[in-house]
Amino acid sequence: MYQEKEDYQSWICDKCQKELELSKVKVRYLEGEFEVELLNCPTCHQVFVNESLALGKMLEVEQGLEDK
Amino acid sequence: MNLDKLLETGDRCIFLEPPTCTANCPVHLEIIEFISEIEKGDFQKAYKLMEKKLPFHKIIGRICDHPCESVCVRNEAGGAISISELEKSVLEYGAAKPKKVWPVPKKKGKIAVVGSGLSGLTAAVDLDKKGYEIVLYEKTDRLGGRLWNHIGDSLKEKTLSEELKQVEDKGISIQFNRLIDENSLSDLLSEYDAVYLGASDWTAPLEIDKITFQVGELNLFAGGAMVTQNDSVIFSASSGRRAALSIERFLSKVSLTDSRDREGIFETPLKQDVSETDVLPKVEKQASVYSQEEAIQEAKRCIKCQCRKCMDGCNHLRKYDISPYAYIRQINHSERIILGTHYANKMINSCTECGLCQEECFLDISMKDVIQETRESMVERNKMPVSAHDFALKDMAFSNSSRFSLVRKQPSKEASKDLFYYPLISFSDYVKGLYHGTGKTEYLFYPGCQLPASYPDDIKGIYEYLVGHMKGDVGIYLGCCGAPADWAGRQDLMGENVAAIKKVWEEMERPTFILACSSCIRVFEKYLPEIKVRSLWDIYLEKGLPNKNWIKSPQTLSVHDACGTRENSELQESIRKIAESLGYTIEEMKYSKEKTKCCGYGGLVYYANREQADGFVAERIQESPHDILVYCTMCKDLFVSGGKRTYHLLDLIYPKDNEDGAVKKMPTLSERHQNRSLVKRSLLKEIWREDVDEPVPDDYQLVIPETVRQNMEDRYILLEDVQAVIKNAQEIRKRFYNPDSGDYLASLKIEHVTFWVQYAQEDDKFLIKSVYSHRMEIVEE
Ligand code: SF4
Ligand code: SF4
Ligand code: SF4
Ligand SMILES: [Zn+2]
Repeated sequence: MYQEKEDYQSWICDKCQKELELSKVKVRYLEGEFEVELLNCPTCHQVFVNESLALGKMLEVEQGLEDK
Repeated sequence: MNLDKLLETGDRCIFLEPPTCTANCPVHLEIIEFISEIEKGDFQKAYKLMEKKLPFHKIIGRICDHPCESVCVRNEAGGAISISELEKSVLEYGAAKPKKVWPVPKKKGKIAVVGSGLSGLTAAVDLDKKGYEIVLYEKTDRLGGRLWNHIGDSLKEKTLSEELKQVEDKGISIQFNRLIDENSLSDLLSEYDAVYLGASDWTAPLEIDKITFQVGELNLFAGGAMVTQNDSVIFSASSGRRAALSIERFLSKVSLTDSRDREGIFETPLKQDVSETDVLPKVEKQASVYSQEEAIQEAKRCIKCQCRKCMDGCNHLRKYDISPYAYIRQINHSERIILGTHYANKMINSCTECGLCQEECFLDISMKDVIQETRESMVERNKMPVSAHDFALKDMAFSNSSRFSLVRKQPSKEASKDLFYYPLISFSDYVKGLYHGTGKTEYLFYPGCQLPASYPDDIKGIYEYLVGHMKGDVGIYLGCCGAPADWAGRQDLMGENVAAIKKVWEEMERPTFILACSSCIRVFEKYLPEIKVRSLWDIYLEKGLPNKNWIKSPQTLSVHDACGTRENSELQESIRKIAESLGYTIEEMKYSKEKTKCCGYGGLVYYANREQADGFVAERIQESPHDILVYCTMCKDLFVSGGKRTYHLLDLIYPKDNEDGAVKKMPTLSERHQNRSLVKRSLLKEIWREDVDEPVPDDYQLVIPETVRQNMEDRYILLEDVQAVIKNAQEIRKRFYNPDSGDYLASLKIEHVTFWVQYAQEDDKFLIKSVYSHRMEIVEE
């Protein structure tokens, strides 16, 4: 999973007023747990997921794990 | 799950059984494949199929007495397919040079073949190919025996000679002018490992086994006219081939009799139904052989017989292009593996469990039962993907929570004077005014969860009607019967739900339930057989309709029966009679009543595989040119959203002013919740005069454009989810901000799902830009 630059470039963390950065984040679904590079706030670490990621790659992985 | 029983069910399915033509072809030419190639114009491929199955195909193809044709089911629809003529045309247009075969070293044993008629030649060539050393004894000075009698228009002398010469070319040694009699035969038996006897004029009696063609216990095997007892060329060739197989088994010391029940001709269990097949006359040839075009036309007449009854009716089986035979094998495979791929999950959750397949199958094979059992097993083994049924199960929990669930007895006579009494003058059959109450709850009106969600305004009217017409008190019980849990294979939840319903029933001293929803009827029959039920529609028919004077313009309708009522013919009749008494004409669809189809909602397919549900909808709505009449709210919902004018029976019984019931868009998922709560509150207020808490007002005022609303429907996102996300974001400021657009983006995980909302704030209004969700959990540290 990855995010396109133009998808996120203008978003910032509202709480910390920081620009987002890519870093490794742990994600979990069913019996699968893995690390992916996702945008998040360098301070509070809240993770950014936009629509195309949620309904694209993420859904694909979810469905893959479900149907296995 | 009993997998052996499962496989047994699958193996009963005759999807793979051959057509009668192939079963009656003694060498089992794959006639459907053969004809299909011709139909495509690929005479070369058709030729290869002949080459593969027919011994001496260039000879037999021209003189075969074609027992396949007399049994061809096309006989009853224009005349049998001219299979033998097609074979001749393939020899004409598709012939290829025989493949060069490398001689196999002859080390396996030595076999004598007596007689070089078609059976002997077939046995000799088959065994030669297998690596035996063959010596052929022929009493005359040429090969072929009685084949020479067939020289004529079809089989030319030149062709026969060429074919026979090939036997010699193979290096089979031939002893011409050697008559074998009883004496010389016993010499052969000791000299050779096995002897094949194909002399048509053999007179000495022999004890020949009917299956193996072995003579007694000897190393002697017979074939040809001696065993076929007729002049048939193809039976003769077949007998030679079967004897050759016996010889091979005999010499390899394996069982001669194992799995030979389908040699020669046999009876296929496939009974093709041609009652609805168009009659098409045979294509007559204009010359001695079909032209290519004539052959193609004749090939098109072939029905390609196969049992597909269930698949013809079921969009699901066709979408996955799978027969119950293969489906069950697939399930068996998925069930047996502990780890590894479970790739059939989505398919298993795409069956509506409608039961049509069983209705169509003359062997009574029920995928509905198989799928139900499989889902239950998947749940038990923890292999059921949560996402498939999560939303429906949450919806069920909602309906059984205090936000909808309600049980009340009928108000007493005193308490309800002005409710159920008024003067007897009425334009309708709806005669109020008599109090039938007895103080004992004889009936409990159980409208289910979907009817109140879709028709909130009619529930009170229906209840009043029932109170006014039934003898004895009528109570009310709001809740969900548990159909979603049943479909999801959640026997745990189902058990709890059934127990809860039973408890109410006991507490109310076992009243008769009045049901309005076909899913409820199905669930009560399956899980609560001890509870007596009546359908609301049967009651309308018996007691008369409330608003007879309301009839709008009469028209012709097609009834779509709910799949849950498949076996309930009484109910199906009531529906039709009600519609007719309202002045409508009914025109039945091909698949109706016990053969009805599912709208696509059944089995929770609507949630597990929307594309599959859409497939069911699209197929069903084009099956009638008329408006459709349904009596299940989910059927109505799906058909209307598919663009078909559809009435629910309630639209006819309680028509609304200035409203075309047939196009009424059904409420959104969020509105369905709200409507249920509204029904509960208004019943409590207006009938039981109870104080009710007004619903907690929404925290935020949302402005949602139509496209976003539609996305919420498609993504199963409720307004309350959106409210919760915004509340969380506003309170703790955990959100993203886009300085260019001024939008916020916030998320919140609720149970298994993380919801995201992009919004802009304008004063106290929240403009929703987009809403989406995912199930993958992000572990924030
Ligand atoms: S109707 Fe369907 S399940 Fe029944 S035998 Fe035919 S293919 Fe198999
Ligand atoms: S219609 Fe075709 S498949 Fe059916 S029996 Fe005749 S030749 Fe065979
Ligand atoms: S959807 Fe209905 S007809 Fe199709 S396999 Fe399932 S139960 Fe059978
Ligand atoms: Zn931050």
